[in-house]
Amino acid sequence: MKLSTKGRYGLRALIDLAFYGSNGHQSLGQIAERQNISEIYLEQVFATLRKNGIVKSIKGAQGGYFLNADPDKLSVAEILRILEGDFSIIDQASEEVTNSLTLCINMNVWEKIDEEINEYLDAVTLKRLVEDYKNKLGANAPMYYI
Amino acid sequence: MKISTKGRYALEAVLDLACHSKEELESLKNIAMRLDKSKNYLEQLFVILRKSQLIESVRGAQGGYRLARTPETITAGDIIRSVEGSMAPVGCLEAGIDACECGNYKICPTRDVWGGIESRINEVLDSVTLKDLMDCYESYSGKNELEYYI
Repeated sequence: MKLSTKGRYGLRALIDLAFYGSNGHQSLGQIAERQNISEIYLEQVFATLRKNGIVKSIKGAQGGYFLNADPDKLSVAEILRILEGDFSIIDQASEEVTNSLTLCINMNVWEKIDEEINEYLDAVTLKRLVEDYKNKLGANAPMYYI
Repeated sequence: MKISTKGRYALEAVLDLACHSKEELESLKNIAMRLDKSKNYLEQLFVILRKSQLIESVRGAQGGYRLARTPETITAGDIIRSVEGSMAPVGCLEAGIDACECGNYKICPTRDVWGGIESRINEVLDSVTLKDLMDCYESYSGKNELEYYI
C-alpha cells in the first residue's frame, strides 16, 4: 500500500515553497534542486496545484511560483486530496456491498481507518510542517560547516 | 493509497471461515462459493495465512480449514499485514532509513506525516479482533433471519 509520487513530491515541494517563499517567488528549478526532484515532474504537480488555487505563477524569465494560501489554514488533508484524489483506504466504487459480512468489515475496519487518517491529516497544517522543516534544517545545519 | 484485493479478500475469507468452522472444519470451496470469489485466489491467500499461523488445515476426505487460535486473539491487523506486508505508505519507512531515495532523511519534511498515517492505520487494525467482526456479522444475520419470517 503506497502513496503515489505525486502526493509525496508535491507535499515536499509545497513545504519548500512555503519555507523559501518568504524571500520572494521561487522557480521550479530551485525547488527541484533543493528537494532533489525532477523539474519536469514538478511541472505536472504544480499545474494541478495551480488549477486548485494553492499556488500562483508569475510568467517570464524571472518568473516562478508563490503560495496562494495561508499555510496556517492549509491542511495536509486538503493538499493530498488535490494531489492523490480520493483518500479512501479501499476502492469504494469497486463493488456494491450486498452482504452483511462485507458490511461489518467496512464499518469496523475500512471506514474507521479512513476517519482516523482524515482526522489526523486535517489537523496537520502546512505551517506546522514548515516549522518542523525549519527546526530540522537548524538542527542539522552545523554539519554543513564542518 | 489503497489496500489491495489481497488484504480485503483475506479478511473476508477468514471472517467467513471463523463463522463457519466453530464445530466442524470448513472447505475452501464453500467459503469461495459464499463470498463469490475465485477458489484458486483464496487458496493462495490461505497458504500465506497458514504460514502466519492464523489458520490451520487438516488433510483428507473430512479435511478443511479452521482458525489456529481463538477469534479473540486474532486481529484484523494480523490478517491484513500477513498478506499485504507493512502498512507504510512510503518506502523509506518500510525498509529503514537506508531506503530513503533522497538520502536526506534527517531533514525530510514529510517523513513524519507518512509515519503518522502508518500509525493510525495500524492502531485501527490492531483494535479490531475477529471476534468483534463475528459478533457484528452474527447480529446482522440474526436480524435478516427475523425479516424472512415476517
